[in-house]
Amino acid sequence: MSDHHDHPDMPDDYSPEGLAHIHPYAKPFLFLGKESVKRNFIWFPVVGLIIVSIMGFFFPPKHPAPWDFGFSWAVIGFAAYTVVVLSAEPLFRLLAREENYYGEEEAPKLKNKGDHYE
Amino acid sequence: MSDILANFFSMGNFNPGFIIILAGLLCIFIPVSEIRKALVLLAPIAGGVLIFQQFTSAEVIGGIWQVGPLKLTTLRIDSLAIIWGYIFCLAGVLNAIFGFHEKCKITDSSALIYMGAAVAAVFAGDLITLFVFWELTAISSVFLIWKGGDGSFQAGIRYLAYHVTSGVLLLAGAVIYGMSRGGDYSFNYIGLDAPGAWLILLGMGIKVGFPFLHNWIQDSYPKASITGTVILSVFTTKLALYALARGFPGTELLIYIGAIMTCFPVFFAVIENDLRKVLAYSLNNQLGFMVCGIGIGSQLAMNGVAGQVVAHVIFKSLLFMSMGAVMHRVGTAKASELGGLFRSMPITAVFCLIGAGSIAAFPLLAGFVTKSMIITSAIDHASYGGGPAMWVVVLMLLFASAGVMEHSGIKVPHFTFFAHDGGHRVKEAPWNMLVAMGLAAALCIFLASPIPGIGGYKWLYSMLPYDVEYNPYTTDHVVFQLQLLFAAMFAFAFLKRQGVYPDERKAEILDFDWTHRKLGANIAIWVGAMWTRLSANGANVRASFVDVAGRRLQQLFSPAGAFSAASPSGLPALLTSAMLAFAMIVIFVAAT
Repeated sequence: MSDHHDHPDMPDDYSPEGLAHIHPYAKPFLFLGKESVKRNFIWFPVVGLIIVSIMGFFFPPKHPAPWDFGFSWAVIGFAAYTVVVLSAEPLFRLLAREENYYGEEEAPKLKNKGDHYE
Repeated sequence: MSDILANFFSMGNFNPGFIIILAGLLCIFIPVSEIRKALVLLAPIAGGVLIFQQFTSAEVIGGIWQVGPLKLTTLRIDSLAIIWGYIFCLAGVLNAIFGFHEKCKITDSSALIYMGAAVAAVFAGDLITLFVFWELTAISSVFLIWKGGDGSFQAGIRYLAYHVTSGVLLLAGAVIYGMSRGGDYSFNYIGLDAPGAWLILLGMGIKVGFPFLHNWIQDSYPKASITGTVILSVFTTKLALYALARGFPGTELLIYIGAIMTCFPVFFAVIENDLRKVLAYSLNNQLGFMVCGIGIGSQLAMNGVAGQVVAHVIFKSLLFMSMGAVMHRVGTAKASELGGLFRSMPITAVFCLIGAGSIAAFPLLAGFVTKSMIITSAIDHASYGGGPAMWVVVLMLLFASAGVMEHSGIKVPHFTFFAHDGGHRVKEAPWNMLVAMGLAAALCIFLASPIPGIGGYKWLYSMLPYDVEYNPYTTDHVVFQLQLLFAAMFAFAFLKRQGVYPDERKAEILDFDWTHRKLGANIAIWVGAMWTRLSANGANVRASFVDVAGRRLQQLFSPAGAFSAASPSGLPALLTSAMLAFAMIVIFVAAT
């Protein structure tokens, strides 16, 4: 089974038909579209976070805030990001309306879009 | 007329914005696209050269123009204004390259007039000159919105309404302020205690996107043409930032307004589907950092603001350009319809990632060396007498920094170039777009370079208004900034794995503009309907009143009426006699 999560109407990236539609510069980076790569992307920030959190104890901030400790900005970053993402669902329920709610045509969808490979 | 011309030519140094405006006016009459494009490219270069030539001392004053009792100073170049002038000209060059494919006379001329007006405004030495070019930026730029096609007309009208109001407030405040100073309208520090200052602040606040006055940004920018959005993202709000930095540095209120500006757009950006609108919210968020820095007002903070303006113009243009390139090829900028475009547009994807990294303030990219000055100055301000409220502001700035990482650092590139494959197999962006994006990306790297001798952040710092020793590349700063960014990336990956990260859904997200676009419009419709009904009823009431009064008069004065009846025939004579007697008594009393 393919490790890709392609669009249902598109051929597999690595098939000859699929490769014909890929930009030459993108071909070495097709692995970025693999599900396994997407799934394991988390290890990149995990490793980075561990390293800089440890370093935080050895290089404390020169302009510290009262709450600062070795990995305080990591805690703030994670908490802030999580709050923003978790707020999305209730906010969406509260603020989302159908498209063209105001009765004006939305952001221009170009009639003469640029050249396609197809 | 000859006096005006004589005045103009005797001004000596003249505002570099004038030649850019003149080039824009010329564009209207040039039918050949290639010549127009050359003018669009050369005019900002000429403007930049002129600024460089004229800035010969710490403060250059010129273009003095006596108009009746008003003494206008149309040119004042100093260490604060010059950085805005240079970056506007640089942005003009990038925009010209990016829009090279667009053969549109209106876009070319309005872009130049708009840019020229912005340059002229930052070099204005008095509030009246500022007002003139302030309004010219609004009037000239609305055509860029209207070129966006269907649905952009109403947004353009609303944009004009906001900006004309802003100008009127600025003028009203300027007149009060100038009159209180005996007719001196020179534009320097104003402060909130000066007469008319609140009106001026409000006028500037509309243009810089204060909370509840910000909606014109998210309303109009995504509806403009592809090139138009890129151009719009540069000038208007930065001009307003300059005006605030000139008139209200160190105004404490701006610290809190700025802090709120950094935070609230984050929540809207996370649920917005239109990625150009996400970038418009991101613009608001970044403006908040700069407004906050102006409020702090220390030399470090003001340097941070000026530096952030430079960096922000470049990386925000880059992000809007990359979304413009995507829109040019795919036809939409909606996250729900994009994805996987790194396969077709890998170069654009790399440029977008550099812009995203810059705005998120990754080390070695532009935002890192400028935004950190504002945050450090906020921490300093809190440490030395700012009090608990200032620490809350510092927390808000850190929260917003993680928020930037969410919407501009991750969401925009992720949903456009990665995420699920949207099935679009398109060509890479046109060469001119790639060149413009490439230059902007190179500048993002160049301006943050820590390597001595080849430009880098020290070169940028040397252009800032104050001489302040600041090194962004201390180990502690790099480490703690990376903590924030890695933690945000980890949170993204973790929440995505848990299935908590929201999918992009098509929707219209309500913001404060609902109050006038829906509530206000409905109230206006209701009032109109009531007025129509009242008018109809009023017409009936008036008709019946006239009818009754007519009949009464008919009854009294017609040949068959009461006054013509025979029986009280002596009554009119009696009444006339009484009136005559009354008049004679009055005259007699008055005479004696």
